[in-house]
Amino acid sequence: MTSTQNASGLDIGIDAVDVRFAAAGGPIEALAGLGLEAAAGSFTVVIGPNGCGKSTLLRLVAGLLEPAGGSVRVGGSPPRAGDGRVGLAFQQPRLIPWRSVLDNVALPMELAGVPPDERVQRARLTIERVGLAGVMHLRPRELSGGMAQRAGLARALAIEPPVLLLDEPFSALDAMTRETFDAELQRLWMERRRTVLLVTHSVTEAVVLADRVVVMSPRPGRVVRVVDVDLARPRPADLTGNPRAAELVAEVRDALASARAVELRPWAEGVA
Amino acid sequence: MKRVGASLVSLAVFVIAWKLVTVVGSMPEYILPAPEVVAERGVRAIGSGVLWEHAGVTLVEIVLGFAAGASLAVMTGIALGKSVLVERVLSPYIVAAQAVPILALAPLLDIWFGGGLLARVAICALIVFFPIAIATMVGIRSADPLLDEMLRSLGAGPAKRTRLLEIPSALPVIFGGLRVGVTLAVIGAVVAEWAGAGSGLGVLINIANQGLFDTPLMFVALAALAIIGLAFHGLVVLAERRLVIR
Repeated sequence: MTSTQNASGLDIGIDAVDVRFAAAGGPIEALAGLGLEAAAGSFTVVIGPNGCGKSTLLRLVAGLLEPAGGSVRVGGSPPRAGDGRVGLAFQQPRLIPWRSVLDNVALPMELAGVPPDERVQRARLTIERVGLAGVMHLRPRELSGGMAQRAGLARALAIEPPVLLLDEPFSALDAMTRETFDAELQRLWMERRRTVLLVTHSVTEAVVLADRVVVMSPRPGRVVRVVDVDLARPRPADLTGNPRAAELVAEVRDALASARAVELRPWAEGVA
Repeated sequence: MKRVGASLVSLAVFVIAWKLVTVVGSMPEYILPAPEVVAERGVRAIGSGVLWEHAGVTLVEIVLGFAAGASLAVMTGIALGKSVLVERVLSPYIVAAQAVPILALAPLLDIWFGGGLLARVAICALIVFFPIAIATMVGIRSADPLLDEMLRSLGAGPAKRTRLLEIPSALPVIFGGLRVGVTLAVIGAVVAEWAGAGSGLGVLINIANQGLFDTPLMFVALAALAIIGLAFHGLVVLAERRLVIR
């Protein structure tokens, strides 16, 4: 099982992008001159304080948003929502409540015009891969939070996208479940090395999963540091006691602190 | 079975109370006929074919008027819900048409639509339109923006998002509008008949009241209207149970 044999990703190139949003008090600069490269088949984790534009970054790569300046490329060309190159999973699973798990997972293929038999077949396989075979005919409200999150992940994986974007996918789960999910995500990625861009708040999750951790500044978002994680895989979800991991966690924390996020300042200093 | 039992009990209580009022108040028949008098008059009206003749006309008006009004209202409601511009342009006219009493509009529509069945269907459709259009608009806008973004990320355009998300999200609210609308359709049919028609339950009420002084027959017509309203409302509820997944 070599990595090149299973490499099936596309590279991501983000060059000097600016994103602005209209707001009541004038335009808000969400991203300013942000640059980021992710090699095909690599696992990149983006970390930063609340409101730094991490989700905006994913929406750019998903083709949901056009930058005001700069360029975004996936496999060399600008992404377009629904072009099949990118799968996006959200913090909330965002399942359609009146559809079964199976029909939710088959939805991307339905929209891509895949014939019914084939899409059901492929959706079943994906559901089995995330361990939901027993509940594929249930509706989302009958699932636990963790199962719903797995279904959301299965939907993103169903079209076998070369690029997988994960927007804080496990942050609503309890700590134990989250560690299990991190380990499973690592396993899925090692089976098939698509390019992954994952957004998180958790420094340890970043170090467990990433080839590279990208640290962002508070708004307007820029990249302040890139930390290469040189730990052997598969990594355990709990890296406590690994001295190299501890160093890397400290380095990421340090970068976050130096980015002067309002949240990370001592409370006594107050909020400017 | 329990629900059917409860309905039967409430019907029995209603009939007994009605009977008591006629006895205790010693009501003359031309003001409030006793239930058995009305029942006997109903049997005769059915036997002579008078009731079927008039009820049939009214049924056709209700079915056509409700179908036309409801389908136009759902389509308009979708347009209103999806576009603020459409809402700005159309809603004053829709509200104005609703605010003017249907009783005042009916004679005018009767002239415009040639006084026949078409005119009565149009009046019926107009009264049905408003609650269903508004319910559809509100329902369309209740679609979850997070699900909308999810669909956009999968490349779904506006038409597909309407079909896959907005209409299903709106269905429970649309059915609320349909329930109100279907009972209004009964009112619309009677009003339309009063504006000018040769037959129908509304006409039968007028004949019984002013022509024959046959109050029991009037009650028979009123009961027929109530039963038609209940039946159509029941059909809408049945459709709702089948279509709305909760």
